[in-house]
Amino acid sequence: MRGLQLSLNKGQKLRLDRALERLESLSSKANSDASVTVADNISVDYEDAILKGHGTAEMDGRVVATLCGVVERVNKLVYVRTLRARYKPEVGDIIVGRVIEVAPKRWRLEINFSQDAVLMLSSMNLPDGIQRRRTAVDELNMRSIFEENDVICAEVRGFQHDGCLHLQARSQKYGKLKRGQLLTISPYLVKKRKQHFHYLDQYGIDLILGCNGFVWVGEHVEVKDDMVEDLSNKSEQQNVKSWNMMGDEEVEEIYTPPETRQNICRTANAIRVLSTLGFMITVEVVMEVVNLSISLDLDIHEMLGAEFYVIVAEKEAERRSMSTKRR
Amino acid sequence: MAGKSSATPTTYSPSLSGQKKKRPSFLTDSDWVRPDGRGPHQCRPAFLRTGAVNSASGSAYAEFGNTKVIVSVFGPRESKKAMMYSDTGRLNCNVSYTTFATPIRGQAPETKDLSSMLHKALEGAIILKSFPKTTVDVFALVLESGGSDLPVITTCASLALADAGIMLYDMVASVSVSCIGKNLLIDPVSEEESYQDGSLMITCMPSRNEVTQMTVTGEWSTPKIHEAMQLCLDACSKLGKIMRSCLKEAASGPQD
Repeated sequence: MRGLQLSLNKGQKLRLDRALERLESLSSKANSDASVTVADNISVDYEDAILKGHGTAEMDGRVVATLCGVVERVNKLVYVRTLRARYKPEVGDIIVGRVIEVAPKRWRLEINFSQDAVLMLSSMNLPDGIQRRRTAVDELNMRSIFEENDVICAEVRGFQHDGCLHLQARSQKYGKLKRGQLLTISPYLVKKRKQHFHYLDQYGIDLILGCNGFVWVGEHVEVKDDMVEDLSNKSEQQNVKSWNMMGDEEVEEIYTPPETRQNICRTANAIRVLSTLGFMITVEVVMEVVNLSISLDLDIHEMLGAEFYVIVAEKEAERRSMSTKRR
Repeated sequence: MAGKSSATPTTYSPSLSGQKKKRPSFLTDSDWVRPDGRGPHQCRPAFLRTGAVNSASGSAYAEFGNTKVIVSVFGPRESKKAMMYSDTGRLNCNVSYTTFATPIRGQAPETKDLSSMLHKALEGAIILKSFPKTTVDVFALVLESGGSDLPVITTCASLALADAGIMLYDMVASVSVSCIGKNLLIDPVSEEESYQDGSLMITCMPSRNEVTQMTVTGEWSTPKIHEAMQLCLDACSKLGKIMRSCLKEAASGPQD
């Protein structure tokens, strides 16, 4: 019942089932019968000293599950992983979130976790770029940096003792995201990689895959590194800024060309289709789907139709069978 | 439902079927024939599905004969009220009826009672320590009330909690028995509930063999109560098996 409700006709249903079967047979499922529901027995060797992890409990000397999911075993650790896992934050994750509250000296963000994350004013670069102590005036001007419902990209700095998440946005690549789309997908579809910021130069758009399941697709923004900036450039910019004191925001409002907007929509739809099919979201896969839609000459809204859905599943099945054959 | 008639409706309604009917006298001694043709110790066939509501963390839909309930679970999410640190999580339950749920439009039973009873039934089964400082919200919506509402709501809510991935000690199954004269009828329909002398509802965790809630109303003799409890517990364990198979199907059905 979940996901995009698509009305597939008979032929499409057949093709989709066949493609999904192929994908299933290709994936190696070592413990395919290890799914458990609540209070099911977990088969363990009682002679070994096993560690009971998340989702397990002891009852009458037996180990039972407290969650519905799949049993995972790592050496001596036995735990139950839910199928639609919630986002589990780790230090250093790149996160995309939305501001829901401006509180004294911090912003509260919603990040698809059980609690809201906190971005302290001190973990944020000030607009003039000088490193200094935050004063009361800075606190009063917090709203000029981020307001409610702004979309922000940040990094996990650490946890508080009570489980609350702390973020930091000290580098130039973090901060407010403008002119784009925010998509919500399941968090387990985004694996932790080295790079989460991707620049698709042939389309001129930025793709940020947040580890919490929030994906940002937007117009490309040139990231200026503070250190490398020339002093002369800086003075030029300051002059320009002083001329436009009144309408700061309006000057920076550049017009986004329609081709870029179409590319943004296309990429966003590609990610939607992939997340409904349950495939891992990586740049390569997204690029393939976008190229596929362009080569098939589909309109952007047709990408969310049943036919494209089935085609993507088939292509992915082909791709995986090719890669396993090569091995 | 605990058979209490609601207050007299303020708007005029031609039939006063909200109050307890005067039972035809021939029924006190003879056996009651159930309107849907079931045996007295036979439950209605259950239809259970998870994943009914896309936007919720977990959800379930249950249909027991004419009683149709949809439950959505949100959480664990930030609790605004508990700014103080609490090392256990909070559970918040809310039951509501649609206006077209009852035969007379808008005449729903006390939903505040039902909400607090649902809370008591579920809090024994949820491992609250697993989500400190956050809240789990359970919203139950009764689409059609065909008798034995609260047991169906509790069963459906426990499925929705399992679907949402919240840690539970065990699934919670709930069944009610009503007593008419000398007959014990399990899983009563609204007509039977309007005639009942007493009702007994048990909410239990089948695999652990523990009862989280027991509600008794009306007049009961001791042997009758024992018999009714035994009936309920047997029915609950069967219902528990059905719930499990529903969850397993949901997990293995949509691949990927």
